[in-house]
Amino acid sequence: MAKRKAAFYWMTIPALLLFFVFHTFPALQGVFYSFTNWNGFAKTYEFVGFKNYYYLFQDDNVGNAYWFTFKFAILVTIVINVLSLLIAMGLNASIKARNFFRGVYFLPNILSVLIVGYIFNYLFSNVFTVWGENLGWDWLSTNLLGSQTMAWIGVVFVAVWQGIALNTILYLSGLQTIPTQLYEASGLDGANKWQEFWKITFPLIAPFFTINMVLAMKNALMVFDLIVALTNGGPGRATQSISHLIYTGGFEGGEFAYQSANSVIYFIVIAVISIVQIRYLQRRETDM
Amino acid sequence: MKSRKRTNWVAMILIALGTVFILFPLYMAVTIALKNQNDMLNSIFGLPTNLRFENFAKAIEMTNFFQALGNSAIVTISTVVLTILSNSLVAYAVARNMGKSKFFKGLYFYFISAMFIPFPIIMLPIVKLTASFGMTNLFGLIILHTVYGLAFNVFIYVGYIRSIPIDLEEAATVDGTGTFGTFVRIIFPLMAPINATVGILICLSTYNDFLLPLVIISDQSQYTLPLVQYVFQGQFNTEFNLAFASYLLAMLPMVVIYLFAQKWIINGVTQGAVK
Amino acid sequence: MAKWSRLLGATCLLGVLLTLTACASGESADGKVHIEFFQNKPEAKDSFDRLIAKFNEENPDIVVTQTNPPDAETVLMTRVVKEDVPDVIGMGATDTYSVLGQSEIFADLTGESVLDGINPRYMTMLTDLTGEDAITGIPYAANADGIMYNRTIFEEQNLEVPKTWDELMDTAQKLQDAGITPFYLTYKDDWTTNLLFNALAPNIAGIDFFLQRRDDQVTFEDPVMREIAEKALAVLPYGTNDNFGRTYADGNRAFANGEAAMYIQGTWAIPEIRKANADIDLGFFATPTGDDAESNNLVSGVDTLLAVAESTEHREESLKFIDFLLADENISQYIQEQTAFSAVEGIDQEDPALTELQPYFESGRLVDFADHYIPAAVQLNSLVQEFLQRGDVDAFLKRLDSEWTKVANRRS
Repeated sequence: MAKRKAAFYWMTIPALLLFFVFHTFPALQGVFYSFTNWNGFAKTYEFVGFKNYYYLFQDDNVGNAYWFTFKFAILVTIVINVLSLLIAMGLNASIKARNFFRGVYFLPNILSVLIVGYIFNYLFSNVFTVWGENLGWDWLSTNLLGSQTMAWIGVVFVAVWQGIALNTILYLSGLQTIPTQLYEASGLDGANKWQEFWKITFPLIAPFFTINMVLAMKNALMVFDLIVALTNGGPGRATQSISHLIYTGGFEGGEFAYQSANSVIYFIVIAVISIVQIRYLQRRETDM
Repeated sequence: MKSRKRTNWVAMILIALGTVFILFPLYMAVTIALKNQNDMLNSIFGLPTNLRFENFAKAIEMTNFFQALGNSAIVTISTVVLTILSNSLVAYAVARNMGKSKFFKGLYFYFISAMFIPFPIIMLPIVKLTASFGMTNLFGLIILHTVYGLAFNVFIYVGYIRSIPIDLEEAATVDGTGTFGTFVRIIFPLMAPINATVGILICLSTYNDFLLPLVIISDQSQYTLPLVQYVFQGQFNTEFNLAFASYLLAMLPMVVIYLFAQKWIINGVTQGAVK
Repeated sequence: MAKWSRLLGATCLLGVLLTLTACASGESADGKVHIEFFQNKPEAKDSFDRLIAKFNEENPDIVVTQTNPPDAETVLMTRVVKEDVPDVIGMGATDTYSVLGQSEIFADLTGESVLDGINPRYMTMLTDLTGEDAITGIPYAANADGIMYNRTIFEEQNLEVPKTWDELMDTAQKLQDAGITPFYLTYKDDWTTNLLFNALAPNIAGIDFFLQRRDDQVTFEDPVMREIAEKALAVLPYGTNDNFGRTYADGNRAFANGEAAMYIQGTWAIPEIRKANADIDLGFFATPTGDDAESNNLVSGVDTLLAVAESTEHREESLKFIDFLLADENISQYIQEQTAFSAVEGIDQEDPALTELQPYFESGRLVDFADHYIPAAVQLNSLVQEFLQRGDVDAFLKRLDSEWTKVANRRS
């Protein structure tokens, strides 16, 4: 039995060491630098204590990035889940060529976020504007991504376009686990479609709902590539996400230590949200 | 169970309309890539008057496409193979011991919490580290992708392994098979569905990643496909047709694989997340 | 079991593959000196490739290779962190250069013979920027920031090149009345919003103003800054209907096709515009910023400077390569291809598009970009972009001050 136990340690320790060296150790270094004034490449740096953190809480650019990121994440999560649930129900209805349609809806998931962003960037400036003009819609006749007040809608749109792929497929597989007899039984009771959905469908796919919320939320909170390809955080800082602020401020702005402090706070915020979600998931696991 | 229902035409039409929403941007990308500058000025939407495959030829030449494709293929394939072999082993040990050992339970949460560390914080330190190990090349990239995948993969593997009954292994242990042997002969074959899931997800994320190669790779001849798109974004400038031809080329290998293995890929992805 | 052994085989194969790639990235031992030339301008890649080919042919014992990555300043920083600084670096005179120069990344070239014949004005620009006595960068090519115009349209409308700010506004009004777009503004790319600011600020406030701001002797809520901000706003009504939706790439294409009469840009955009329309007859004039044409200066900065790594093992060969790039015929070739200006004295830019700028160069009426004196962390580009869209001068100036103060506090 001891030998068996030793084998388990052998299985994990090399990976643990590698993970520590290439992930945890650099992260700890990042935390360490957040207490210095290192600019990223100078040969010397000094300790500044909590100064970076002190200035962080006074920096409205940081507040702005948090506001955008959360607004974006919550909205994207809701829209993606509503749309993908609708699409999944459509795909689950008795339709022809279901596999073909399923394949099409999943397609965006295999494409690079960066390239998808570049394509939409072009569409927003050269195609959607023409539609806007022809339709006489003022809000669309100029590039949505160039507007201080509307650019975030454009970013949400593209995130939704790509994000519904995975969630649709997951909801569909959830719906397929529901036996059709359940619906037949409720049909006899005279339940209408709306009641049917809330009484039967939704409770049965609730686990999928949790997973989809977590996945969509996590991706949206980390949004980076999409911002780079669509707006680069602009106009002004209207669409600057937290990751984008850390990257541009830390590297282009030469304030590595300061943005490391920002990352540490960001990690704490995300960790708190995730712990709550994982607890929820685990409870679900034991329920099943 | 017989379900010989009639086709629900309302749902069918709505679903078909929805696919237009998905396919339209891709249709635009293809037509733009095939047009010349004049076609573009006349009508953005119309089909090209004469197909300009030269755009693709020129994009291939400009971006040194085949070299980048080779680099992407080496990194993606190696990462997938290494990930499946190594991460499943780690997850097995964790899954079978986390109930009774604090060490493994701690390990599980350690890996999971690492999922939420923002990448920029480790970016500069990791650059320094890989440089001191002489790993600023494709090899380093493969190792980093494999190691970073551990966090998420352990999470999905563990869920799956816990659903495999432990009796099988106990029988094997009684037969005198070692722990490694048990894993190789009994567990690993049973993990085929979840290996497919992890393989597909890692394949997609590695192939499409661009930030890590951007900072890790020093030698321009080792650039991967997305990185090359990023490089040439500046150089294409006014030539949208070339840019789009290049985007399509970069997406093509994955799309072709998807066309042939669509059902398998979708099932694979669902399998993992559901567990 | 069969499956497992196949996997094992694949792993072995992979091991071999990895070793191969690891070897391929090592140094080849051909007895030659290898020099890496790292430069940040994608537009200039081909020009440098041609010059490098020539150099390699003339010097069989040296092999120069060019690296031209995207997001070059970030990549250069990662190279510094890797302690793998390229031997020769070509970059703009930016805040990043200044910080790297102060961090002793570049070799001190004071007294080297390669500096002979370089225009002292540009040398001073670089030492002012780093604030150090050591010469760590050799000016190579200079650019100009001003206004491009379509000569054909100007002739058709009987318009003269404007000499004062009022004339500029007047010209714009006449063009608009004739149904022609006066300015093609490309303000979706935040760095282009800064071009007009960069032309106005050194003339109206002066570079000294920004140096004084460093020492807290002035604030941005000063009448001269207000004038700059108001003038930057004044061109917006003369743009397209989508000033904030168009990008640099859109602008180059549209201006090349005659969709607008004027284009606020730098000389570096000319090759791109000609790529889109080789026949365009374009001219370039210095932004008229005030009432007195005689006292107006052209904004011209160091577009490319050459630096040698402090850590290079091949300092002599690196200097030889730089010396080659600075040789009369080579620098002429470069500035013709890139429509840039030579930092070596006695080499003129004869491109017909740039004739209006010659007098400025001859009489030395040149001034540097304002944003070279503003810390990069202030993110001036996005501040100006936001201001132009909101149009609130007071809020902008206040914000400029508060951002500057924040950055200064964090850096102290």
